[in-house]
Parts: sequence; C-alpha cells; structure tokens
Amino acid sequence: MSALNLGFIPLTDCAPLIVAQAKGLFADEGLDVALSREASWATIRDKVAVGALDGAHMLAPMAIAATLGAGGDPVAMVAPLALNRNGSAITVSVALAQAMRQADPTAMAEGPVTARALAKVIARRRAGGAPLLTFAVVFPYSIHNYALRYWMAQGGVDPDRDIRLVVIPPPRMAEQLAAGVIDGFCVGAPWNAVAVSEGVGELLIRASDFWRGGPDKVFGMTRSWADANPDALQSALRALIAAAAWADAPANRDELVTLLARPEYVGVAPEAIAWALTDEIVFHAGDAGFPWRSHAAWFLSQMVRWGQVDAAADLTPGVEVYRPDLFRKAAASLGIAAPETDSRVEEALFDGVAFNPAGLRAYARGFPIGRLRA
Amino acid sequence: MRVLVIDPDPARAALVAEGLDGVDPLEVRQAPVFDAVELAAFAPDIIVVACDSADRDTLESLREAGEANPRPVVMFADRSAPGLAEQAIRAGVAAYVVDGLAPGRVRPILEVAMTRFSLMQQLRGDLAKAKANLESRKVVDRAKGLLMKERGLDEDAAYRLLRKLAMDKGRPIGAVAADLLAFAGVLKGDGA
Repeated sequence: MSALNLGFIPLTDCAPLIVAQAKGLFADEGLDVALSREASWATIRDKVAVGALDGAHMLAPMAIAATLGAGGDPVAMVAPLALNRNGSAITVSVALAQAMRQADPTAMAEGPVTARALAKVIARRRAGGAPLLTFAVVFPYSIHNYALRYWMAQGGVDPDRDIRLVVIPPPRMAEQLAAGVIDGFCVGAPWNAVAVSEGVGELLIRASDFWRGGPDKVFGMTRSWADANPDALQSALRALIAAAAWADAPANRDELVTLLARPEYVGVAPEAIAWALTDEIVFHAGDAGFPWRSHAAWFLSQMVRWGQVDAAADLTPGVEVYRPDLFRKAAASLGIAAPETDSRVEEALFDGVAFNPAGLRAYARGFPIGRLRA
Repeated sequence: MRVLVIDPDPARAALVAEGLDGVDPLEVRQAPVFDAVELAAFAPDIIVVACDSADRDTLESLREAGEANPRPVVMFADRSAPGLAEQAIRAGVAAYVVDGLAPGRVRPILEVAMTRFSLMQQLRGDLAKAKANLESRKVVDRAKGLLMKERGLDEDAAYRLLRKLAMDKGRPIGAVAADLLAFAGVLKGDGA
C-alpha cells in the first residue's frame, strides 16, 4: 500500500476525492489515503509545495501561478486531471439586483445576463458621489477572479477602477453579502445556492452560461512528487476518474449529496449541495476530466491581461502544468477513451468569442479593458 | 515592531502572544479573523497567521491590491534562512511580512510562533488523552458493576475477569469493557 496525504477545500467540486475515499476506490487501487480538509487555497499550495500534502484539490490558475513564481517563490506543479467543469456563479445582493433591473430592465432580461446594467448603476452611483461597489472572489489566481473580471469588462465595467475587488473565504460570502460588506461575488458551489436560499443574493450568471465546457478545479501536485511517484500517481488518477464517473451518475446523486453534506466534508445543507449538481457541475462526462492545455492557455491569457504575469514572459511552462499525457495513460488502463490532441479551439464564451490557444498573446492584448504589463 | 497574530483559536493566539512578549521591542495584537480596517489602523510589520485560518487567502490578495491598502504585504520568503518557511508551514503557521522588514527580525518571531503552536498541539493532545483515560475508567467501572450483578462476583474478581478477557483478546481493557456493556444492552433488547 502506498500512503498518500491529499488535501481538499470544502466545496462541491472536491467530490471526486471524497467519493474515491468513501467508496473505497483509493483502497481498490492499493492506496492508503488520508484526506485533510484545509481552510485556504494558500495553505493547500504551501503544504503541497513543502510535501506536507502529496496532492490536492486545487484552483488550476494557482498551480500555474506557483509554477511561474507569480505571487511567491516558484514551485513547479502539475495538473494531470481536471476535477470538474462549471459550478461557480456570479451572485449580487438583492438590493443591487433591483438597482440593476431599474437601471436597465432590457439588459437584465437577456440571457445570459451581461454587466451592462451594472455599468449603468455604477455611472449613477458615481454621479451621486456614492462609494464604490465591493465585489469578492476567493483567490487572486482563480477562475472566479477571471470570470468576474471578464464578465464585468465585457459590459464596460473596469474591475480595477469602477469597483473594489476583495478576497473573502467562500463560507463567509453569504454573511458578508447579507451584512452589506460586499455587493456581489463570484464563488464556487455550494456558496451561491447558500446565499440565494438565505434570501440575501440573486444569482446573475452561472459558469455553464459564462463558458459552456469551461474549466474549474484540478487535482494537482508538485512536479517533483509526480516524477518520483509515477505508480502512486497513476493509481490515484484511476481512482479519481472512477470516482468522477460515479459522481456523475444520476442514480448516485442522493448518496453523493448526503456524503458531501457531512460536516467533515463540505458541511452545508444537502439542498444547497444538490443545487449545483443539477445541470451544472460535470465531473466526468464529455471528457470533463481531461486537462486540456487550451484551458491552461486561457488562464494564462487572463493572467497576462490583468497584469499578474508579464506580457513578455515565457508562458510555455505555465501551459505545460497541464499533463494530458498522464491523464491518457490512466484513462487507457481503465479502458476509457481520451482526446488525442492536447489543445483545441475552445467553445465560445457568453460574448460569442471563442478562444484559440494559438493566438494567446493577441487574445490577451485584444481586450479594450485590461492591465497589460509589458 | 508590531506583530498581528490572526488565529481562530483564541487560546493558541494568547499562547503565541505571550511567547512573543519576550522578543524585541514588540507590540503584539491578536484577532480571531482578519479585518482590513483594524489592519490599516494597527499597521503591523509582520502578520503571523494560523494555517487553519481561512483568512490566509485574503492576506495573500493584499499584495495584488496595493493601491487600496496602506501597506504592501508580501509573503514570508526569507532566502537567507532556507527551510524556515517550510518548517513553519509544517508546524501550522504562516507569516506575511511587510516589505522592508529585515529578515533577521523575522526569524525569532516565527520560531516563537512555531514553538507555541506545537506546545498547544501537545497540550491539546495530553488533554484528549486524559479525557479518554477518564472515559475508559468509567466504562470499566460500569462493566465491573455489571459482572458483579450478573455473575455474583466481588469487585476484585470482576476486575480480574475483565483483565483476563483483555489479555486473551489482546485489546485494551476499556475496549473490552465497552463491548461487554454493548452486548449486555443487546441481550436486554436495547437497539434491537
């Protein structure tokens, strides 16, 4: 038996790790896994970096940032598996949603909702001398940060100038929204459902409307661990792929909800967990587990766009964090077909613009609102 | 030098703050959660934060939002002391140092914090063990009582029987006593 320490953050999309443990799939692969619930992404990153954890549920851009040394000392990470597609959403306070509807009822009735109405609210507030609206995301290097920024900028709102953007831990989002400390947020499941069910927030756009098939969390570890433990890594990948397939199956939905709702895992009401598992989060179907390098490239395009990474920097090591080769090997041993190409032209985002990784730099420079750092 | 200790565990925070009292000319404050207004008012040179605090991600983001914050915060990355940051993370503590603080001043603070964190863990471990022992003694007493009643044994004989069962099974006496009580419950119809 290989002993592994794996970390997770209490979010619905940690499901493959929880399922692999609870259903004995790790044990079937000869792994003795200890799961460790962590309180912050920074601690996940640091514990993986120093070897206190062998691998973890990670924000994909965090693994890329760590590899490039953005926001800290460089530590090469790899992401051989995507844990899920979709699951995050943008939610605003009930008061802000009302102000947006009042400012531009037509824009608010469109699907998917754009930030046009928000731009009008902001213009009115500015004219009236009101303070900046505050929005929250969960980490600087996260799909939540990039999705919120992308969505806002597309509607003419500059996320660095027209609002105040802060980082708040997911479990505190709903209470901070209720208390009026923040006016909106982009966070993963189940926290949008929690805010909506408590009557403090209104959901504007889900990840599946923002970018159908867009990326979310990954299973990540240091490259040195992956290189030194190829067999344990393949065993873990097989268990997690099997767990993802189990988590997708409608017949297992109720059991999955009950499992995740337990206090040692996500620890929120089962109804809030169930919400994003219906027509939103995908764990396995449609190659959801495949770590498309075009997803890594899109994250890099946004890191460049918002000045987190120098526009002239070599981005190749960032793209190579994603390891489709390791996924393919595990999938093949399970008899599961995997895409043969590493990268693809991605499906269009909600604004109708598709991302072609071949034009990464031009794409990053092409946005009217951005903080390019040359 | 001003040190802010952020720890959701108030007892541990107090232990760290007390330990830091002896280091340098210090002003130490402790808070269970991060508060931007308090941070701006106190303007710490170093923030010591428990790894089990969810506020680490917020602190992490302060580097990025330089304009909105009165003092830039950078993550502790002291290349002059290799392994220190690693030891700290393993001990469950991280630190954010305001840009410009001399590395030599960071080390003693982090070392005190690490020592106090492990001391707290040891104290908590001892307490849990003491509680478990007490619990086990209560269970053994109840099992003894049951044997005395059902088998007409005196107290010494009941204890010797329990001890023999434990040795035969190679299990702790508390566990054997708990099994005995559970089975007695089943025989009487509890939980059936």
